[in-house]
Amino acid sequence: MIDMATLLAIVLMACVTYLTRIGGYIVLRNRALGTRATAVMEAAPGCVLISVIAPSFVSRNPADLAALAVTILAATRLSMLPTVVIGIASAGLLRHVMG
Amino acid sequence: MVASGPHRNGAARPAVMSISQAAASEAVDGRSGSEFRRGVMSCLPVLLGTVPYALVLGAQARQKGLSALELPMMTGLNFAGGSEFAAIQLWTSPPHIVLIVAITFLVNSRHLLMGAALAPFLRHLPRRKAFAALFFMCDESWALGLADARRRAGANVTPAFSLAYYMGAALAMYGAWVAFTTAGALLGPLLGNVEPYGFDMAFPAVFLVLMAGMWKGVAAARPWLVSLVVAALVYLLVPGAWYVAAGAVSGLASAWLMAGDA
Repeated sequence: MIDMATLLAIVLMACVTYLTRIGGYIVLRNRALGTRATAVMEAAPGCVLISVIAPSFVSRNPADLAALAVTILAATRLSMLPTVVIGIASAGLLRHVMG
Repeated sequence: MVASGPHRNGAARPAVMSISQAAASEAVDGRSGSEFRRGVMSCLPVLLGTVPYALVLGAQARQKGLSALELPMMTGLNFAGGSEFAAIQLWTSPPHIVLIVAITFLVNSRHLLMGAALAPFLRHLPRRKAFAALFFMCDESWALGLADARRRAGANVTPAFSLAYYMGAALAMYGAWVAFTTAGALLGPLLGNVEPYGFDMAFPAVFLVLMAGMWKGVAAARPWLVSLVVAALVYLLVPGAWYVAAGAVSGLASAWLMAGDA
């Protein structure tokens, strides 16, 4: 069963999302960047990533903050898979021990 | 240092090295199947965190009245988890279409920056391929693809951006996302709350490792700190999903200002 209003909402969501995906590429595709714009583009990935996960840094749960600290430490030393495993395990364990 | 393209660093290297590197890169790009596999493999740790998150979204959507056919349409056509969570939170029957589309744009506005950061690496691709590849650009596929392109640019591999690697990571993500959100909608109430098990920490863990890979010293990371502080404050003080846009934009503004000092 597909409801027409639901279908319309989903199709419009998909259109808007696709526009955000191609918008930056279309604007910058054939353009050389100046010094400042280059600095901005170099900082952009980190700025977006840290903004998305910022809520984890101000969690009200001390166990979550402790697990985040462990995960940061792991991320500076280890590769992706061990860091993810340590992050999940420390969050699970600390929530049970401290929560 | 390499966001504006792979060419700048190349000139300083000895010619012999760049020739052998170019030969090596041709061999690598000739085996796009192995590049695709490399992309899928690098995405596997990311999926550890995504699968529980997808199951939860499917279960929540079912509770809000979406059918097990409508939900995969949403996750398959829209393919942007953050906006889908926001939309499901706001979902009513019938849905408030303008509100849901506006929130979707707001949550996904970071894609504009992400596409802009990727654009210099996509110049060697025909427009048709780039537009198709960008449909699959999510936080994870973008971050893996960009980090890989920067690494390859640093090693003078051309082209720096490996489309097969990116598509491997992106399609692994896409398949898992659609499959497991659907599974969540079908299994729904059997699941309960998965948060106590810590799977949600996979998301920050992945992002932190990617940022560690982008680390270029304290000075270059100052805009990140600005983003973190502003995003955290906005998250605490302003309801809704504004914190991502506020954090990203303030970090970029500080990068713009700091570039003037140097």
